[in-house]
Amino acid sequence: MGSLSSLKGKLVLLKGTLEKLVEIIFAIIVGFVIAGLMMYMGGFDPIKAYAAMFETSLSLTDPYYIAMTLSFATPVMLTALTFAIGVRAGLFNIGAEGQMYMGALGAVIVASWTLPGPLYLPLAFIVGSLLAAAWGLIAGLLKVLRGVNEVVSTIMLNWIAFWIVEYARVYVYPNPIDASKTISMPPPGRLPLLIRGTELSVSFIIAIITVFIVYYLLWHMVLGYEIRATGLNPTAARYGGINPKKTMLWAFIIGGIAAGLAGVSEITGRPPSYAITTGLSNLFGYGFDGIAVSLIGANHPLGIIPAAIFIGALSAGSRGMQTTAGVPLEMVKAVQGIIVWALAMPGLIRLIRRRMIRRRGVEL
Amino acid sequence: MPRNDTIVYMKDIVKVYPDGTVALRGVDFEVKKGEIHGLLGENGAGKTTLMKILSGLLRPTSGEIYIRGRKVHFKSASEALKHGIGMVHQHLALVPAFTAYENIILGLPGKVIDRKKIEELMETTGLKIPLDAKVEDLPFGVRQRIEILKMLYRNVDILILDEPTTNLTPIETKELFETLRNLKKQGKTIIFITHKLREVLEVTDRVTVLRRGRVVGVVETSKATPEMLAKMMVGREVVFRIEKKPARPGEPVLVVKDLWVRSDLGGWAVKGVSFAVYSGEIFGIAGVEGNGQSELVEAITGLRRVEKGQVILMGRDVTNKPPSELYRMGLSHIPEDRQKLGLVLDMTVAENSVLGIHRLKKFIGKLLNMKWKNINVHAKKIIERFEIVAPGVRAPARSLSGGNQQKLVVGRELSKTPVVIVAAQPTRGLDVAATEYIRKILIKMRDEGKAVLLVSADLDEVLQLSDRVAIMYEGEFMGIAKPEELTEEQIGLMMGGYHMDQLKNTSSNRKVLEAS
Repeated sequence: MGSLSSLKGKLVLLKGTLEKLVEIIFAIIVGFVIAGLMMYMGGFDPIKAYAAMFETSLSLTDPYYIAMTLSFATPVMLTALTFAIGVRAGLFNIGAEGQMYMGALGAVIVASWTLPGPLYLPLAFIVGSLLAAAWGLIAGLLKVLRGVNEVVSTIMLNWIAFWIVEYARVYVYPNPIDASKTISMPPPGRLPLLIRGTELSVSFIIAIITVFIVYYLLWHMVLGYEIRATGLNPTAARYGGINPKKTMLWAFIIGGIAAGLAGVSEITGRPPSYAITTGLSNLFGYGFDGIAVSLIGANHPLGIIPAAIFIGALSAGSRGMQTTAGVPLEMVKAVQGIIVWALAMPGLIRLIRRRMIRRRGVEL
Repeated sequence: MPRNDTIVYMKDIVKVYPDGTVALRGVDFEVKKGEIHGLLGENGAGKTTLMKILSGLLRPTSGEIYIRGRKVHFKSASEALKHGIGMVHQHLALVPAFTAYENIILGLPGKVIDRKKIEELMETTGLKIPLDAKVEDLPFGVRQRIEILKMLYRNVDILILDEPTTNLTPIETKELFETLRNLKKQGKTIIFITHKLREVLEVTDRVTVLRRGRVVGVVETSKATPEMLAKMMVGREVVFRIEKKPARPGEPVLVVKDLWVRSDLGGWAVKGVSFAVYSGEIFGIAGVEGNGQSELVEAITGLRRVEKGQVILMGRDVTNKPPSELYRMGLSHIPEDRQKLGLVLDMTVAENSVLGIHRLKKFIGKLLNMKWKNINVHAKKIIERFEIVAPGVRAPARSLSGGNQQKLVVGRELSKTPVVIVAAQPTRGLDVAATEYIRKILIKMRDEGKAVLLVSADLDEVLQLSDRVAIMYEGEFMGIAKPEELTEEQIGLMMGGYHMDQLKNTSSNRKVLEAS
């Protein structure tokens, strides 16, 4: 009886996973078909474009391409964690973008100091992630103490962070040699490359480890239990002796650290600049891409890894689409957008529906 | 058979809900034109179901409805509205961000919108409201008037009010009754759903009393006495008796002193309640739902702010202490809503089995990690001991049936080895077997020397289980007594708002009561 019913439970679980998988495959097909139609109407050959995209992102002929894909995947994997932790706590934290800027700024601040070589890396990670966590905490405190909606506050904080960091780039930490960027991380503070001649560094491994730490935190630690309970049913969490406000603050802090790591790893582990470039161009957008990655990965840390690599491949492949298939950058961006949109939409709809149901106080 | 002045005639109405609950078992209901007709009954008597059928919100399983002598089949509320039937619900259906005027005209085609007509209507009915004020800024009583006006503007002449006085202050109630009498003078027919005896006696012309889906009687209000109505409302055959030994109460474990608590709407939900629960006894709180019981329980269990007064647990003042601290002291709380409060439905059975005790040393390791092995063993123990049917400890709580969900909550709460158990509606919605099971456990807990506070809207349950019982009405205790010392009539009277002091010697001295 017992084993039979547990088997039944496993079957139910398996069925759910299969359904998810079918959904994802269907979404990928829909995205590629629609984007392909668009390219066709624009006068380009979609088959050739997709072939070029694959060739320059996931093909094993040259490790350079895979390295490119994974180095694009690194920051979005981390910022996706920010969003995912938020969702688990019942929050819609879209502040990874700004928190990531702050993390990068922290690393640049450390780069500007004169330190014994081995201290650069640990200090860059500590200062960067603390600064990012503090930035996330602002939105958290606003929410918990004043009831400010985190969607609004994090969007605003993203732009505040943008201009603070941009100001710091120009006036506080300008590079004395190259005016288009900040002071670079000195060589002892740079993460070693995994493959020579590529952009892929140890930061990718740091990102993967962070994903597993967050997974462990959410599913195997008390705080994660409390975060998930709060996110799924704050009333029951309160009944269960959990302080939902405290839990939410932790979710903001941990999310901020993850986004901060993304910023720090761009400064310490991404050639060639090892610095913040004009208009934050080497950072801009990774925070928002993380939202898509998280949604595609079902807001689950372990789902985020393949999702980030997928998005990384789209980014890396965009170069091949331009050079080999002759698709202009604008069209490439639109193709990426459509594919991401098709993949992220089911998750986003589910999320919004759940929030609306909760606001009306109804359980389905 | 209906006569000429019959405006509503419902014949042999049966309603079985999709989940098998029988709400109405063949009800005949008749309302005369131009009367205020009371519909009286306890929770679950079927009052609201019957009126939802009349107003087109529900369809009867069988039975016939005649309006002004003509047979009707309503498919929706708007069809009933065309026949002049409108219902004002307990929870008002107004848009808070809109003005009163906007709410009244909401959904009407442009050509019938006429502000002058609304103003005239306000004049003739005496329903004065600030038309241009936003609804969210208005007190509940005014909102209700807007809702009534909205109905009248849609030419409703059979107005159904579902427990309209629940959220009103005494003055607002008086004004409402004035309005109702006024409307009656203008020829409107009003059906008034309530459980409050005083209000029935004050404002209605005739009363239909429902009990468990059946009509118990129809009486002219002028010929009715509170005792008679109370007995009709409550009197019932007891389904089964539970055997229990006499209680051996010990020390007072939970003491509540002059407790004042607010409702979500801001009014007083609990008004100076005092009592003590002793170890080894079950102290019951009876009463029609919505009379402050939920707020009282929440205040005692740390989930709602106490504005005034004290909660003392084992000699320590725990007023406004967080739940986690109360749990550590030995409080168990079986909440009234297992799905909203008691469980996180999307978490697993194992995860739910430790909710509230998840920080115990047994369940967490040095790294603040969850010891899943121990938690799973704990969950399995609860499943075994309480005979819970579950696909496994890793199945989501949502996949369990209602009865098994409740057993999981009860099992978890009792696994805390509590000193005090606060059980709110512990058997609501459960089948007979599960109900009996949980009741027996509560008695066992009592026999083991624990203090049990039982709050239930199920009168049978409170009276059978409790060693002492308090009857709550509008945030106050109408009296505390041993269940066997109370007659059905007395209980019904207290549930309907009469204080126990007023009831003394009711049989010998009826005048005292009538004078009050």
